[in-house]
Order: sequence, then structure tokens, then C-alpha cells
Amino acid sequence: MIEVRGLVKRYGATLAVDRLSFDVRPGTVTGFLGPNGSGKSSTMRLILGLDAPDAGSVRIGGRRYRELAWPLREVGAVLEARAFHPGRSARAHLVALAAGNGIGRSRVDEVLDAVGLTGVAGRRVGRFSLGMAQRLGIAAALLGNPGVLLLDEPVNGLDPEGVRWIRGLLRSLGAQGRVVFVSSHLISELALTADHVVVIGKGRLLADTSVAELAARSASLEDAFLRLTAAGSDAGAWTA
Amino acid sequence: MTAGSRYRLRHVARMEWTKLRTVRSSWWLAVSSVLAMAGAGAGVGAGYRSHTPVATAAQLIDNSLAGAVLAQLFLGALGVLAVTGEYSSGTVRSTFAAIPHRGLVLAAKAGTVGLVSFTVGELAAVAGFLAGQAAIAGSPVPRASLADPAVLRPVLLTGAYLGLLGLLGTGVGAVVRHTGGAVGALFGVVFVPMFLAAVLGPAGIAVLKFVPLIILVNSVAVVTPVPGTLSAWAGIAVLCLYATVALGLGWRLLVGRDA
Repeated sequence: MIEVRGLVKRYGATLAVDRLSFDVRPGTVTGFLGPNGSGKSSTMRLILGLDAPDAGSVRIGGRRYRELAWPLREVGAVLEARAFHPGRSARAHLVALAAGNGIGRSRVDEVLDAVGLTGVAGRRVGRFSLGMAQRLGIAAALLGNPGVLLLDEPVNGLDPEGVRWIRGLLRSLGAQGRVVFVSSHLISELALTADHVVVIGKGRLLADTSVAELAARSASLEDAFLRLTAAGSDAGAWTA
Repeated sequence: MTAGSRYRLRHVARMEWTKLRTVRSSWWLAVSSVLAMAGAGAGVGAGYRSHTPVATAAQLIDNSLAGAVLAQLFLGALGVLAVTGEYSSGTVRSTFAAIPHRGLVLAAKAGTVGLVSFTVGELAAVAGFLAGQAAIAGSPVPRASLADPAVLRPVLLTGAYLGLLGLLGTGVGAVVRHTGGAVGALFGVVFVPMFLAAVLGPAGIAVLKFVPLIILVNSVAVVTPVPGTLSAWAGIAVLCLYATVALGLGWRLLVGRDA
């Protein structure tokens, strides 16, 4: 379980995350929804300890990220589509990460196979298409077979076949009892995979509810989402 | 899976070594360093073959190590890129997500870069010396041998100086984070204080003797240090201090800043 409590983050004059609190539970896919610039990526970076919060805390299985003994075996994350050195091969990228967390080489081949990159594993990542880069990011997230997965806009730039593949993957990871936290600015996309949604706008919590409950509030999920985010931070938090 | 309850320096070092050896720039910079010194050594030796008056053994050695002026920039860039290459590509976030203990990451980076730059630096220095010796074969210029401590010292310390430039580059990379800015800053540290020479005049040597390039060409890579400059070992000690300061500052910033 991920527990976010009173998280605040400022970048210069911008308040990116504003007293955000929510839980992400195992065994289901939780969507993280908000317009572009609403603070989703900042929250993801704070969860991973990449940025330091100005206030509040995040616990993963009861511990801070930096206290994790083997982080990749507990949390897998895909933050940007292309966070790889362009001159390094896909396999080398994974082998390096695996070495850092005491993960065996055979696991590298397993995840390459799982995401369908075995045939291009020796190729330099700079030549990868966006879809291949997304798959490599997912392979890295799965490397340590973690119980918690964070994915920031994983379907961005993917072709329809890739989008369908990610949906299936996320659902199966959730069904295996893992914590799966997926951000998107498209409610229609999340509605196909997520059971629960955390909605934010301007860094604040707008809703923390089931997809079914959110849909019941308006004519459509999209209406519900747009009404929530339009009201934005003027309205109080709407939680269930 | 490896035994043990938590990641340790050895895991991080293995990760950093894998990253260093799997980008081509590392290999290009290492090979270029050796070639620069071997090429300079051979060129200097060839020039001295028919030189009058006949060069001394010390003159030949001093000049056949001149390729270090170029090699220091290659190995410095190797250190810079080990850090800034991660920031420019975004890999640094994968790295810190895998190893949240950033001090350990920098220690492992410095360790692997240092090991490589020292090894390559020594290889390059020996290559420069041997190329110079090979190029004077059959000429009247006196030969020298690495078995002679007075000859071995400048060769080995030139290699050590090159190794320290790799560490200095790693530290500067961690401070500046952008490849262009960090390479520029490194070149600045190595070269720019030379312009002070014009401003300060003859008295300037009191200050200039602490500039890396002056340390290299007047203290370290010479059989007899130039009067008024540091001794070879003092020069190396000053370079150690610079590398330590750069890495220390880099560590402070790395730990405190958002990735």
C-alpha cells in the first residue's frame, strides 16, 4: 500500500502539490487522474523520493522510499518514455539496474521477453520508437518483480496495439494482488483499466473514489471528470 | 538473487561499471587518451632524431609526455559524462529510484571512473614514453629506462595526474549536471587561470603554480620540476585536493537537489 499524507511541493513560485493525501491499495488498478500540469508527475516523483517534499510524507508498505532494502524489488516505476541513455543497448540498461539491486541476469532476459523486446535487446536505445521505449520502461519496472507499480502516462504515444497490450498488462498486474498506480489525463483511457480513481487539480485532491461511483455522478465519466477539474481548487475536496 | 539484506556499495559499483562500459563515448575517450600520448611521444621522438644540439634524455622524456595536455581533457570528459550523460538522458531518475542513497551512487561512480581513468592514464603515460623511446632508436639521443627511478617517477605520476582529472571531471559533472557547462567548467579550471599570467606578470608563478595545467607541465610530467613551481608529489597532492573538493561539493548538491 502507498500512503500519501499531507504532501506539499513547491517549484519556485509554483505550488505543484497542495496538501495531498490518499492511499493506493493492492489488488486493483488505481487511476491517477488530472489535467496536464495538475501535479501528477510531481506526485509520482515525490513518491519515489526523487524530489523532496516541502511538507508531508509518503510511505510504501509502511516505510519511506529511501528505507527500502532493494527498491526495484519493491517498487517499479515508469516515469518518462525516454529516460535511457541513447547510446546504450536495452539489455545493458536493464543489466545495470539489475546489478544495482542484486537481481540475476536471467531475470533481464525474462522481462525483455515479457515486453517483446528480445529481438532488439542489443540495439542502441536511441534508435527505438516511442512504443519500444515505453516497453523498455515497463521492462525496467518489472525487473525486480515488485509488489508496487507506478506508471506515469504509460499509453502516451503508443499505437492501438500497444495501448491494448498495456491495458491487459495493468489489469493482470492488479489481479495478481499488486499495487498498480497509473496516471493519465484521459478518463476514457483509465475507465478501461482502473477500478478506483484519485483525481487531482492544481495539486489538490478533488476525488478519491471508485470509477463506478464517479460515473454515477454525471451523465458520463467524462462529464464527471470535467466538472470536477473545472471546479478545480475552488471546490472543496470530494472524497468517498 | 544475491545474498544480503540490502544493497551495498558493491552492487552500486557493479551497476556503475556496467553503465560506464556500455556507452561508446567511454571507449572513444579512453582510446583517444592513449593515442594522444603515444602520438605526441612518437612525434617528439622523431623530431629529436636529427635535432642539434643532441637532446638530453630528460628533454626527450619531458616532451614525449606532452600528450597529457590533451589526454587530461579526454579523461576529464570521461568523468563529466559519467554524471551528465545521466542527467541529459533522464537515466539519473532510474538510477536514484534503484539506489535512493545518492552518496553511494556518487561514491560508486567516482570509484569506477577513477579506476578506469587511473588505469588508462598510466597506460597512456607509458605509451607516450615508450613511443618517444622507440622513435629515437638508432639516433644519437640517449635512451632512458623505466627501471631508473628518476624516469619512472614522471611517467607514473603523469598517469596519476590523468586519473585525478577523471575524478575532478566526475565532481564537476555532479556540480554542474549539464554536459556542455561541465566540460566548459573543467576546461576553465584546467586552462583559464593561465590568462592570469599576463595580468600578474613574473610574480604570477606564486599563484600559477597551483593551476592544474602548470602542475602537469612544470611539476609532474618532467624529470626535474621547473624552479619556483611545486614538486611533483606536491602537485599531485594539490590535484587530489581539487578532486576531493569537487566531489564533496557535487555530493552536497546531489543529495540536496531534486533529481
